[in-house]
Amino acid sequence: MAEKKEARIGVFVCHCGTNIAGSIDVEAVKEYARTLPNVVHADDYQYVCSTPGQTMITDAIKEHDLTGTVVAACSPRLHEPTFRMATKVGGLNPFRFEMANIREQNSWVHMHDREGATEKAKDAVRIAVAKASLLEDLIPKSVPVEHAAMVVGGGVAGMQAALDLGNAGIKTYLIERSPTIGGRMSQLDKTFPTLDCSQCILTPKMVDVGRNENIELMTYTEVAEVEGYIGNFEITLRKKARGVLTPDEAEARGIVGGGCNGCGDCVEVCPVIKGNEFEFEMAPRKAIYIYHPQVVPNLYTVDFNTCIKCGLCVEACGEKKAIDLEMVDELIKVKVGTAILATGYDLFPIENKTEWGYKKYENVITGLEFERLICASGPTGGHLVRPSDGETPKKVAFVLCAGSRDNTGVGKPYCSRFCCMYSLKHAHQIIEKIPGAQPYLLYMDIRSFGKMYEEFYYRIQDEGAKFIRGRVANILEDPVTKNLHVFTEDTLLQRPIDLEVDMVVLASAVQPTTGADAVRKLFGVSCSQDGWMLEAHPKLNPCGTTTAGVFLAGVCQGPKDIPDTVAQAEGAASAASIPIHRGEVELEPYFAQCNEELCAGCGMCVNLCPYSALALVEKDGRKVMEVTEAKCKGCGTCGGFCPGGAIHMQHFTTPQIVAQIDAFLLGGEQ
Amino acid sequence: MHEYAFFLGCIAPNRYPGCEAASIKTSEKVGIKLLPLEGASCCPAPGAFGSIDLNIWYAMAARNVVLAEQMDRDIALICNGCYKSIYEVNHILKHNDELRDGVNEVLKEIDMEYKGSIDVWHLAELYYDPKICGVDKIRESVTRPLSDTKIAVHYGCHLMKPRKERHFGDTDHPMWIEELVAALGAEPVQYRNKMQCCGAGGGVRGFDLEHSLDITNEKMINLQEVGADALTEVCPFCQLQYDRGQIEIEEKFGIKYGLPVLHYNELLGLAQGMSPDELALDLHAVDVTPFLEKIL
Repeated sequence: MAEKKEARIGVFVCHCGTNIAGSIDVEAVKEYARTLPNVVHADDYQYVCSTPGQTMITDAIKEHDLTGTVVAACSPRLHEPTFRMATKVGGLNPFRFEMANIREQNSWVHMHDREGATEKAKDAVRIAVAKASLLEDLIPKSVPVEHAAMVVGGGVAGMQAALDLGNAGIKTYLIERSPTIGGRMSQLDKTFPTLDCSQCILTPKMVDVGRNENIELMTYTEVAEVEGYIGNFEITLRKKARGVLTPDEAEARGIVGGGCNGCGDCVEVCPVIKGNEFEFEMAPRKAIYIYHPQVVPNLYTVDFNTCIKCGLCVEACGEKKAIDLEMVDELIKVKVGTAILATGYDLFPIENKTEWGYKKYENVITGLEFERLICASGPTGGHLVRPSDGETPKKVAFVLCAGSRDNTGVGKPYCSRFCCMYSLKHAHQIIEKIPGAQPYLLYMDIRSFGKMYEEFYYRIQDEGAKFIRGRVANILEDPVTKNLHVFTEDTLLQRPIDLEVDMVVLASAVQPTTGADAVRKLFGVSCSQDGWMLEAHPKLNPCGTTTAGVFLAGVCQGPKDIPDTVAQAEGAASAASIPIHRGEVELEPYFAQCNEELCAGCGMCVNLCPYSALALVEKDGRKVMEVTEAKCKGCGTCGGFCPGGAIHMQHFTTPQIVAQIDAFLLGGEQ
Repeated sequence: MHEYAFFLGCIAPNRYPGCEAASIKTSEKVGIKLLPLEGASCCPAPGAFGSIDLNIWYAMAARNVVLAEQMDRDIALICNGCYKSIYEVNHILKHNDELRDGVNEVLKEIDMEYKGSIDVWHLAELYYDPKICGVDKIRESVTRPLSDTKIAVHYGCHLMKPRKERHFGDTDHPMWIEELVAALGAEPVQYRNKMQCCGAGGGVRGFDLEHSLDITNEKMINLQEVGADALTEVCPFCQLQYDRGQIEIEEKFGIKYGLPVLHYNELLGLAQGMSPDELALDLHAVDVTPFLEKIL
């Protein structure tokens, strides 16, 4: 502890051009600061964050022998690190700096009240000075970082992130709960606007993931528990009973040359038939199955919910002995430094919009079902047919914003961002494949915002797709022909429309995938109002989260198309690799400290802590609380509650907070 | 016995008194006692009043609710228009303090206060609710099954919409009244555009009869297509539109359908053994005899 000496504070008031000076009398604030207790120096400057501005701080610290600095400027989220560094260069501990926000919380919101804004700025400076006078030296701690990462979710986002991490030499666990990687993208036929075959561009990546020596691919596996903190996450995984052994697993059991080789002999004999989830149950699968021929890993899975354990597959498998119908779930613990969540999306259950009759009318399908029906490897070999009678539809209506941009209470208020573009692509596909086909796009706005997207929109217009601007009120099925009547208003012609079509494709809204919420909570990640995982900053930290060491990639953070998903995945991989490559991370020293002499060992704080950072330990024959500093976020919940006042919140101590309150309430009278 | 304050409405007692009689008598056989709601006024009609002055609509409907509050009984009613007014105003006032204060200002002049202490039900939903009655109890009460008849159901807009303020789940493809019809031994039939308006509501019948009949005519075409022996509904105003409307369609468009239209309570009365006279079926505009011949 540094020798206690009288506080000597320097105050620096920023003009921020006219951002602050335009509505606050900076000169008056500076003069006022000079009158405050402990203030030995006050100055103002056009841009305190500039190099000369910073030099002003460092020089003043030396010249006036300051013990603390206060900058009245913008939000600490922007320039706190800048001024801490300047304070450090001046020879003080960087935590002897306090910031007064007189821009975001003052000049920008009180533009038309110069006098009031100036008074408020004086209050803010007075409060900051009161705290700065009591600030203490703090030393950040460093913790080592495990040289491994985890990616949760094996869609295109997770695969890309895992490949980047693996290629950067980091051991990466790629966790996927379904039997194969590939995700939603592997269900798509073509991608917009380039019309690439989705599988053709995705499968090379899937193969790369399978072969990358740094990636440990764990399919049919879920995250069960997360403990620890950045650098040292201890994650328990549940490897679900798959009923099938890999060649390695077989060898571990002493079966030489055995294990699943993907031959498929078991499928032929399996008597159980069920809908294939990958094909939205429009095609069958057996109780022992793979989703499609290009799965990675090429490994069968037993669906124990439907398996009747007849044992025919075991017989068919023969000497490979790859099938174990008595297999049980297995818990595996791994240690990683950082983690990326890439859990993706599901479609909003569009049957909830009962007026459109999805699941009631056979010929009303979703956009993803359309992808399977138009895909050459799909259940119909790429021939788009009506589910009701197998006929080729000629007139097809595409309902855009189906459940998106919807404030009725049933649906999602946000834009799902890729439905306009895939509906345009769908229109193109039926024109291309079905002679005489006529697509109708029923839309609110066409949002073709990406590179070459607007050009694609024009192209589809030229190809003859019809665009009707109007929200679809309801859809009725003709009970005889199973044709559909789409009722809407053409809002450009201001005319009600009854459009009879052979098929309706609902471009359903998207929502976080089932289970994403549970994963999010395990990793301590928040979500925004709409349920998507919350990034640390919408503009400047779109891959990070408020939990250090946990990053986001792809649609789990909000709807986005493939290019944006891949870009974010690469960003997340880069961000997740930084602490690993540095080898250690510095933790902000805002953690709680326990005064063991005052602690009564009641343990109330242990249960209150949202970050599981506290524990009761035995010391000198009695129980006291102990803080795991790396886990503590300094939220102050325990400190505020402790009945004995035994918890000391660094940088937010009780005397500091009381001084701030006094400074505000007493208006400067001490 | 579950006791309810019975809100009669206007059209049932004035145009189809048999419907009123049927409601009281049939409900008693399935454990529901309808008590007279003395002093009740018009609900008031949601289209006619609501579209001109909402405050009058709120206040008058609230007054009817207060009468039931004074009896300490929930309201049961048999008309979708009444349901729209009384159920919805009760629902709105329970959730909007400001409106409730305004309504109470008005009610103070007649020494009344809306408290929000009761609920409002359509008798048909009470029939369907297994906690009160349920389909099985209806089936058990039948003494003269309506065998070999095909009956189409019209739900009516004000019963089912707006979805947000109702509690019927899927309001676009409902089947619960069909279950009640099947309990009488009849075969419920589906037809095109079942959920379309009868043509009367929202003041359309009063404002533009011809347009209103156009809508009814479209429904009649769809009903004829599936060969229904009768149409049933749970709203005397819809009943009036389909029943009187068929005569008006004949006069204006020269098309005769002759499809008997019966309130569900009238059907239930027939199935429980009430006579056509007791049900005053001779007051129907479209002759009900062809249907009666099938079941009597």
